[in-house]
Amino acid sequence: MISFRVEGRSVTPPYLQIIQQVKQALRMGVLDVGDKLPTVREVVAATAINPNTVLKAYRDLEREGLVEARAGHGTFVRHRPPGPPPGTHSRLGRSLARWVAEAREAGLDDDSMESLLRVALRADTEEEIA
Amino acid sequence: MIPRQVVPEVAAAIRTSGLGKRYRRVTALSDCTITVPEGRICALIGPNGAGKTTLLRLLAGLTRPTAGELAVNGGIPRQEPAFLASIGFLAQEIPLYRRLSAADHIRAGTHLNPCWDGESVRERLTALTIPLDRAVGRLSGGQRAQVALALTLAKRPRLLLLDEPVAALDPLARRNFLAILADAVAAGGLTVVMSSHLVADLERVCDHMIMLAAARVQLCGDIEELLAEHQLLVGPRKDTAAIERDHRVVQVTRTPRQTTMLVRRGGPVIDPAFEASDVGLEELVLAYLGQDAPPALAHLTSIGDNQ
Amino acid sequence: MSWLVWRLHRTQLYIAAALLAALTVLLLVTGVQMASQYHSALTACAVSHSCASLSSTLFLGSHAVGFLVIMTLGVPALFGLFWGAPLVASEFETGTGQFAWLQSVTRKRWLAVTAGEMLLAAAVWGGAVSALVTWWSGPDNALQLDQFKPGRFDIMGIVPVGYALFAMALGLCAGALLRRTLPALAVTLAGFFVARTVVTLWLRPHYMSAVTVTYKLFSGYTPAGSYWQLAQGILNPAGQLVPAPNGAEFDGVPVGYLPFACAAAGRGVPPTASCRQALAAFHGFITYQPASRYWAFQGIETGIFVALAAVLIAVTAVVLLRRDV
Repeated sequence: MISFRVEGRSVTPPYLQIIQQVKQALRMGVLDVGDKLPTVREVVAATAINPNTVLKAYRDLEREGLVEARAGHGTFVRHRPPGPPPGTHSRLGRSLARWVAEAREAGLDDDSMESLLRVALRADTEEEIA
Repeated sequence: MIPRQVVPEVAAAIRTSGLGKRYRRVTALSDCTITVPEGRICALIGPNGAGKTTLLRLLAGLTRPTAGELAVNGGIPRQEPAFLASIGFLAQEIPLYRRLSAADHIRAGTHLNPCWDGESVRERLTALTIPLDRAVGRLSGGQRAQVALALTLAKRPRLLLLDEPVAALDPLARRNFLAILADAVAAGGLTVVMSSHLVADLERVCDHMIMLAAARVQLCGDIEELLAEHQLLVGPRKDTAAIERDHRVVQVTRTPRQTTMLVRRGGPVIDPAFEASDVGLEELVLAYLGQDAPPALAHLTSIGDNQ
Repeated sequence: MSWLVWRLHRTQLYIAAALLAALTVLLLVTGVQMASQYHSALTACAVSHSCASLSSTLFLGSHAVGFLVIMTLGVPALFGLFWGAPLVASEFETGTGQFAWLQSVTRKRWLAVTAGEMLLAAAVWGGAVSALVTWWSGPDNALQLDQFKPGRFDIMGIVPVGYALFAMALGLCAGALLRRTLPALAVTLAGFFVARTVVTLWLRPHYMSAVTVTYKLFSGYTPAGSYWQLAQGILNPAGQLVPAPNGAEFDGVPVGYLPFACAAAGRGVPPTASCRQALAAFHGFITYQPASRYWAFQGIETGIFVALAAVLIAVTAVVLLRRDV
């Protein structure tokens, strides 16, 4: 099951943070179709946010078709959000970690690594346009 | 007669009209007209002496108004078991009998209240590892606050009035406290009005807001709606009369080159010279409170006004 | 509600019970001793025909215990001080009123139960002490016949119950009005002292019109039983009051006021027949309350203090229910 973390000082309002974290969990494979989301009370007890906030987030997710509320039983995952299959993120994250380790061993600092990434993204975008 | 709102969608836990409280020389609260719908967690914000405690005491029936009217849970606060059972009031100084233990207070509550959930108090305090048999005076400030809150909730009130309940708590205890509060509201049938200085906490757990300053109401409403109604406009230093005419300017800061204004929108802002951005709760609160602040404090939030 | 009252004050109640027990033991033991002492003295004086002077020759018991018994005058004040004044005042001072009065019990009911139980406790305790002291003083009262006198009247019979109720009510009222324990204590103490002094000195002598009896100087007159003497004196033949003697006197008349025929008698010479004739025109008088009125007076005074207590409780109720908390 998924456990939520709501950052108070973040720019994103709490209910959006909940939505984002649900979608993230679905992408990463932590949540799968058919799994039950934590009840409103469970979320509230863990994060100390307003219950209406949680309700709003779950309603929005329901509207997007990602979850469905079954009266008396809870809220369950219905669909995955469009995007790469689960495990992609973790797989890519792991290979990225390997690359970072390699780059550090070669002597690159954080800024150099970031500019390399930016160059690569730009090049890729230009290739796509082209 | 309290004027009826147009099509009230939700029952109101609190409705006041022109409420005022005046002592011999001091006006603690004046012309207070607010509505708090049921099921909300409402933040009561304001500087010291703004009238927060007075408002809470008026709502609890501890003191009687000198002007205006109020309705709490649909009726006037009065010395009547049914009304007393429907509200919970937690004063700032955590009023508990220091020589009595938490268990004693639970037992007292059993005798003094018709529907009393003593078991929930025991469960909660045990989960927080607060000893039930120790004299309350020998517990820490945070533990006392938890005991008092648990006792107030055990009454199963419909409206909970809290006066600076987390003031003396460390961050962990505060988090626990707010979680318990939010959980109680999630369980249903409870409205909370909570006064506090800590905007970050309020932002997290509250969805309704009353702002008081200088004994008057500055803002009252749903937090999301209020934030949506306000905008921060940043632009070159120029004549702002048009904007000031159409919208309510809460705060202005002028430097030789730039004007920054926090406005409450009366409609869409149609001035391309100004860049509009959203306002956070803390910014909003500071702007409103800065209006009546003494000059030394106001200086911090509006620089170069005379340039 | 009563559970909370008991729980909050149980330490005081235990202490009060312990003190009462100690006093009971002390008075029972010494009282029995005094009673037997008295009865043996009676038997002895009957044999030697000296019973008439027994009241001035016999001292029953010990000075220490006697002193303690006199001190029970202050017992009612203690109720007001230690139980009454802090009770309401502390609810305001410590803020616990915001707990007690925001449960589902109205302030009216809170006061009714709290005040009711406290007043009952005061009355019971005061009554117990009074009963003990009254019983203990039996032999002494029979011997000295002074139970109607101020100082002894106040510690026996039913008036201590009235005083206790008054003191408790005064404490509660002061606490409710002043909302702080120390000022309430001061006001209770002062108020109790003033009320008791005023009643004892200025009201009690007049509950019923006193009886005045005039008698011939030589015959003398002593009212029956344990009367309460209010005034006594000697009137000369013209009906004027003769001042009390302060030095040389004869038969209670100062030398300077003696008729001429008795000039020699004032110097210790036995009076002549003409002196006796002259003195026959002098009269003594005594103003007193008869012993038969003892219980009537007890009843009236108790009634006064109970009425005062009722008024104070009414004021407390009004203050608590109508003012802001």
